[in-house]
Amino acid sequence: MKTIRIGGAQGFWGDLNDAPVEMAKKDDVNYISCDYLAELTLSIMQRQKERHPEAGYARDFIKALREMLPMIKEKGIKVLTNAGGMNVKSAVEAAKNVIKESGYNLKVGYVVGDDVMDVISDLRKQGISMNNMDTGESIDSILPHMVNANVYYGSEPIVECLEGGADIIIVGRSTDTALFLAPLEHEFGWKNGEWNSLATGILTGHLSECGAQATGGNYDYDWRNVPHPEDLGYPVAEVSEPGKIIMTKTKNTGGLVTVQSIEEQLFYEIHDPKKYLTPDVVADFSEINLEQIGKDRVLVEGVKGHKRPDTLKLCVGYTEGYRNVAYLPFSWPDALDKAKRAAQILDDRLTNKRLDAIEKRIEFVGLNSLHGPLADEIEQELNEVVLRVAIKTKTREEASKLTPEIAPFILNGPPASCFFGGRTRPAEVFALWPTLIPRDAVKLEAHVEEVK
Amino acid sequence: MIVKLKEIAHGRSGDKSDTENVCIFARDPKYYDAMKRQLTPEAVKKHYKGIVRGDVIRYDIPQLYGFNFVLHHALDGGATRSLRLDTLGKCMEAALLRFEIDLNK
Repeated sequence: MKTIRIGGAQGFWGDLNDAPVEMAKKDDVNYISCDYLAELTLSIMQRQKERHPEAGYARDFIKALREMLPMIKEKGIKVLTNAGGMNVKSAVEAAKNVIKESGYNLKVGYVVGDDVMDVISDLRKQGISMNNMDTGESIDSILPHMVNANVYYGSEPIVECLEGGADIIIVGRSTDTALFLAPLEHEFGWKNGEWNSLATGILTGHLSECGAQATGGNYDYDWRNVPHPEDLGYPVAEVSEPGKIIMTKTKNTGGLVTVQSIEEQLFYEIHDPKKYLTPDVVADFSEINLEQIGKDRVLVEGVKGHKRPDTLKLCVGYTEGYRNVAYLPFSWPDALDKAKRAAQILDDRLTNKRLDAIEKRIEFVGLNSLHGPLADEIEQELNEVVLRVAIKTKTREEASKLTPEIAPFILNGPPASCFFGGRTRPAEVFALWPTLIPRDAVKLEAHVEEVK
Repeated sequence: MIVKLKEIAHGRSGDKSDTENVCIFARDPKYYDAMKRQLTPEAVKKHYKGIVRGDVIRYDIPQLYGFNFVLHHALDGGATRSLRLDTLGKCMEAALLRFEIDLNK
């Protein structure tokens, strides 16, 4: 029976950049899929592209790709990624350049069409509502503040690239899971309508797309005893038939694969386990069973699938003002009292400067900044605590009012404080508008180019 | 005997816009029934008072001795907009581990 091994070698833009390289070197995977996009990433990339027209994609991928090229060529590993972000064509050019430099002959596939920003107003005119999925509000109020608008698409155009012989596939906002489903469809001939098969591919992706979260990272069950956490092996899925996945990890690495590491990831970012909506299939994780079948090998069985939705998810990023965050540490004795006094002084000064804030937040790192009102009351004195002040404003100028107020506290505030990081700078706040649009409103194009 | 959930369970939390999910699994199947009886959506919503503003829904995963909680309006508008330090709600599962379970109930 044919077995395909797919690795998940990147959990987000900023994950360990040598993870895909190590996987390609140490393992005999058939495919490596790298997810670089979180919800906010595309808005950030769009701003980068506005400043530099050739930017707007995950450049780190190109660095990793350069080192992976010998293994891609010699071992026949195929690499899929959504590192193209907001500028797939630029990412493809960069990839072609490193391939040319290497002297290898490889095919690069790519998909464009998820960026629908330019056609949003046309879609509105056609009567497509695009109301907010969560609140039901009309999209019209945010259109003037729109930064990016991208459709989450499924595996179809990626499969097209594989069928065109692509060795490296660079896309924008495909779903993370499509990067894993597509190779399985290509290898096993799974088709639209074969819902249980497609759900197997989606589950493969879901378990692998957050990288080391399946293999000992963020391991609540027993984090103290993860072997060699300095060298975590990223996840590898072995698939031979629909409904069965064996989860393991990159050979000769640290980390672990246990029932608990897989179950923690299985429901990560999942809502109703019976209805994990993707453009390819509605996957049902509710009856999945897990079994440890060897060291670092877990059998995952029982995933089911149902007909895919008629609509695609569209995520519109828009601006919602500016945020500025500052920190001030205080030492024993009376650390918390000093920090609270400083917070009051700061608040009074910002009031005197007529700060017009949409929202203000004061919390104490070391006491309650992570669990808020759920944090326990502290009875003993803290050795030290860090005051954290965050504001959100409509304009950059308003947000900037916080910046010059922090450093003077070292001389003017309660005793025994020091600098924490550099001067704070206001940052743009992006909000996201999740909505649905009909499939036929989106025109995706798959291309494959040979590079010599 | 009353224990913190931390002693008998493990899990993970994740965000999707302003909705958070917290999955939680019994460290031993013998704890599952007590968890099932006491980790009601109402009790969990009360536990997250001041953090979660919307409904709490519980999905049971009996074959894995676990639960998936979906917490609506849990992230001050969502990770990108929130002024919290833990914008992504990565520590929300740890916050549930503070929940007290009576093992005899």
